[in-house]
Amino acid sequence: MNQSPRALSRFVRFALFGALMAVVSACFGVRTASAQAVIFDGRTTVFHEPGPKSTMTVFTPSTDLTVNPWDFLTVSAGWEADVVSGASERVKAGPLWGSRFGPDVVSSASVHDTRHSGRGSFTLRKELTQLTVGGNTSTENDYKSNSLNVSARTDLFEHDTQLEISYARNWDRVCDLAHTFNADFTSRQPLDSSTGCFTNDVNRAEDPIKTDAFQGTWSQAWTPEFATQLVYTGQLQNGFLGDPYRAVVLSIGGQIAQEHHPENRTRQALALRGAYFFRPLKGVARLGFRAYRDTWGIVSETAELELEKYLSGWLRLRARGRIYNQSGALFWSDDYTTGRKSDDDPLGSRGQYWSGDRELSPFSSYLVGIRALGSWRAEEKRMLGIFQGLEAAVALDVLFNNYRNFTLAGLPVQDTKAYIGSLSLSALF
Amino acid sequence: MRSKRRSAAGSSTRTRSSALLGVLPLVAIAVFGSACVTVRPEQRAVLADPVMQFQGDAREAAQMQHVIDNREGSFGGSSVQGGGCGCN
Repeated sequence: MNQSPRALSRFVRFALFGALMAVVSACFGVRTASAQAVIFDGRTTVFHEPGPKSTMTVFTPSTDLTVNPWDFLTVSAGWEADVVSGASERVKAGPLWGSRFGPDVVSSASVHDTRHSGRGSFTLRKELTQLTVGGNTSTENDYKSNSLNVSARTDLFEHDTQLEISYARNWDRVCDLAHTFNADFTSRQPLDSSTGCFTNDVNRAEDPIKTDAFQGTWSQAWTPEFATQLVYTGQLQNGFLGDPYRAVVLSIGGQIAQEHHPENRTRQALALRGAYFFRPLKGVARLGFRAYRDTWGIVSETAELELEKYLSGWLRLRARGRIYNQSGALFWSDDYTTGRKSDDDPLGSRGQYWSGDRELSPFSSYLVGIRALGSWRAEEKRMLGIFQGLEAAVALDVLFNNYRNFTLAGLPVQDTKAYIGSLSLSALF
Repeated sequence: MRSKRRSAAGSSTRTRSSALLGVLPLVAIAVFGSACVTVRPEQRAVLADPVMQFQGDAREAAQMQHVIDNREGSFGGSSVQGGGCGCN
């Protein structure tokens, strides 16, 4: 029988498509689609840092929906927002300036902004391995971010060992003042407002930020009650890594310039955690340590302890504490208007870079918190005829910061305490 | 004498190197062999409990990490997911 070339081409395409579907079916055992589990998660976190000059409140609501249409596939989508209001110091001066001219140069600017973020991911599972691919896009008046992440995980030795590797890539853009081409950094002024950002406004520019992050994780069960986790994280950043709104007093003559950070930063962290379940107490102790260093000279140590106990079959209580300590960045100084007396001197110029960021200064912090979580599972019938499970939690953490060298024109910062509260509700259908 | 001291020092160095080379495989076997310790399936009830999961509630941990990372100069040890923000 003779076939026309077009018909033969159609037949070949159909045959190839059928073969591809057969391969996919063989790999993942496709069955008729049926929603085996749908999980809705809604939560909000409130961060509040009171203080006369830099009070800050951030609401972070989020929702996520996760569906398992087949045993081998999980799809998730979600939204999150950061609603920010408050004030922060926009011109940073140190004690040498403050002793001469007073603290009034340290001006505060009000901050009101909302960031919207959308995220999605899918996870493919086959026997002992799984692959997750996800993405995130966010937008706010002066910052836009797009990211892609992938991770692969496998279980070994009858699930006693889990190995996971992850990679994430960010393509971000930050709004900045349109500086004169090749203008010296000491003459660049800070961004005054987000008006005109990401438009054709000639007074506005966009600076890119590229980030690559890598992570490897080894989780190990050693006994029926004891497990550990070792995590290594590396991150490479390139681009505008400062705050475009913040300026620093550079000279005793009053010269003010936009803060200037290095364009490259390599960061590494190694964390070790352990969890031990105390059967008589029906509770667990989780202990964790993290060591961090980067090419800006910041070295930090973190220790965390969590104690969680079942008060009943559906209610558990968690208490936690966290201690953190970091050194300052090599180029950080509390006052750039004079020379430097020694390597340990927190005052004086630091070469071609300057910063007004307290988070790059030497400081330590302590966090204590408590959380109550209730979890209910339907036994024979669904709860309220709808839910297979419900989970609700409320938590409160208090963060104390101790800035050893950072001052506002010589005055110690007063907003060293922050409150972090959260509410969450998850429903399993 | 010099040659004897040199040869004695050289053989001592080679002995230490050989000892290290011999110990390293044992350390590797101890480390990786210990990972083969099996917890029987009927013993895994506690390990599967939510309280034994590191990071616990992943979304709660992610939101707390977002808050903490914007207040510190450090990063890492938990998750690399999530986008950036002008949160400084």
